Amino acid sequence: MNAASGAVSLRGVVKRHGATTVLHGVDLDIAAGEFFVLLGPSGSGKTTTLRVLAGLESVSAGQVLMDGVDVTQAEPGERDVAMVFQSYALYPHMTVAQNVGFPLRMVGTPAARVEAAVADAARKVGIDHLLARRPGQLSGGQQQRVALARAIVRQPRLFLLDEPLSNLDAKLRLDTRLELKKLQRALGVTTVYVTHDQEEAMTLADRVAVFMDGRIVQVAAPRALFGRPATASVAGFIGTPPMNLLPAVWRGATVVVDGAGSAAVAAAAPAERPVTLGLRPGDLRLLADEASADRALTARVELVEELGDSRIVDLTVGGHSVKLRSDTAGELHEGATVRLGFEPAAAHLFDRERGGRLN
Amino acid sequence: MTARRRLPRELALYALAGLMLSVWAFPVLWALLTSFKSERDVLAYPPVWWFTPTLAHYREVLTGPSSIVPNLLSSLIVTVATTALTLLFAVPAAYALARLRYPGRRASGFYVLATQMLPPVGLIIPYYLALQRIGALDSYFGLVLIYLTFSLPFAIWLLVTYFEDVPLEMEEAALLDRAGRWGALWHVVLPQVRGGIAVTTVFVFLNAWNEFLFAVVLGGNRVRPVTVAMFNFISVEQTQWAKLAAGAMVAMAPVILIGLLAQRHIVKGLTVGAVKGGGRR
Repeated sequence: MNAASGAVSLRGVVKRHGATTVLHGVDLDIAAGEFFVLLGPSGSGKTTTLRVLAGLESVSAGQVLMDGVDVTQAEPGERDVAMVFQSYALYPHMTVAQNVGFPLRMVGTPAARVEAAVADAARKVGIDHLLARRPGQLSGGQQQRVALARAIVRQPRLFLLDEPLSNLDAKLRLDTRLELKKLQRALGVTTVYVTHDQEEAMTLADRVAVFMDGRIVQVAAPRALFGRPATASVAGFIGTPPMNLLPAVWRGATVVVDGAGSAAVAAAAPAERPVTLGLRPGDLRLLADEASADRALTARVELVEELGDSRIVDLTVGGHSVKLRSDTAGELHEGATVRLGFEPAAAHLFDRERGGRLN
Repeated sequence: MTARRRLPRELALYALAGLMLSVWAFPVLWALLTSFKSERDVLAYPPVWWFTPTLAHYREVLTGPSSIVPNLLSSLIVTVATTALTLLFAVPAAYALARLRYPGRRASGFYVLATQMLPPVGLIIPYYLALQRIGALDSYFGLVLIYLTFSLPFAIWLLVTYFEDVPLEMEEAALLDRAGRWGALWHVVLPQVRGGIAVTTVFVFLNAWNEFLFAVVLGGNRVRPVTVAMFNFISVEQTQWAKLAAGAMVAMAPVILIGLLAQRHIVKGLTVGAVKGGGRR
């Protein structure tokens, strides 16, 4: 395997199913060795994009390039890519060893080499004791590992993973996530990973492409995605709980929320305009009564969710629901009126109409 | 539930099962008994249950002047050819119907089934005329051709459901694993529809082997399957019941053999658990 191989590009990829357009011109550059996540709600086009990369889906327009070579018309088997399906798609009539060795046998690899490669791949994912079993005799987690072993056994230049963790239970998902990241680091193979789980995307990815309605709305490293979401919809999709979004008016260096007062922001508006104000739950603070009134929003406590190390406070601000994450243990009464503050630099401002970022 | 309370329930169930089985098995057992009876015992009334068994009828149908062995051979040729050709065409056709998207897919599925709705008697005269025109009356080619007209739609219709049960993703995985379309079909899809192919083989074989109507009209002196030969034991003067029964017993043997052979392959639930959350999309 060549360490420098595995760079992938999509150029203006359009995919139509009859009258509906699933992908509206997707452009993407994935570097060799990168762990790249396609994130988005269901129906956003992320899985279609993955299937286009695999060659399982033809494109209506545009190009797919791998290491600079146009593979748009290449068959799936000619692209040197391996894929882990959401359902794992193991071959039920074959043993684990036969499943893992299948991609090698199909290109006439000598039996001894197949056996060695299968043993090696099985060891890497910890299924070497299961080689004689059939998929039907394995647990979900074990099946997932078999699918993974089948993908890594032939050292492809590109891994495609389609929600590989979604069928595992919560605990196993966390463990497997970690192992997947380690495995990818160790193998250094370019990996494209599809998920609708933003937490999974944030923890695994070198970079994330966020899909909405068949378009990529932002490509960024996890930290940048969290810190500077490009649109209000990305902001509302990332974070646990996600960013609070409130209609407000941006006037000078303040934002005014109807029925809740105003607060300072870091940037001054060129002209007064309606905006969507974005505030991360962790950036919000409850202020003491004596804080100056012009720098706080008035809120009403609706509910307090205790998480142990922290709490989520559900508030209403000017009739809109807002969540606040707090690790202080002060007394809070449901129904009480409180005052809400944030650092001026923590405010995200988006165009009210189009959702684009303004600051 | 305690063992003592379960016993009467089980006995009742066995009794019921035995009753149903005996109704189903009665004609077969009756024919079996008849085949060992002398002609006199056959016609005895009330029927005799205790008699001196004789192998005379078996000797006669196997080696006598009215031996059915050539007819068995005829049947075997027609049946094996029909079964083989049916599977040869039905497997790819069913795969295509289950997988490929093309205009009129639903309509073609219905057409395949609709051909089964015609009563065979209505087809005899057109078939006779068609075969006569191409000079294929009383030939293996002609009879197999006619058998294919009903075995093929039936086999396709039966196999489609088995192919549809193989998840598409499994085939896509095989494509990515560099198997190619044919490799995916051969290594991944076909092994999983093995049971369906076995079931189809048994049904097609059975239907062709036991077919009588077309064989008696479209066959002749050269191609005379065993069903037609047995029919000749029934004549205006007399019906040779014992010979008929012995012939039936002999004719049953290959079918039973095929059934037993195929049963080993009809393993249900082989694909269970291979794909989480089932296969259909």
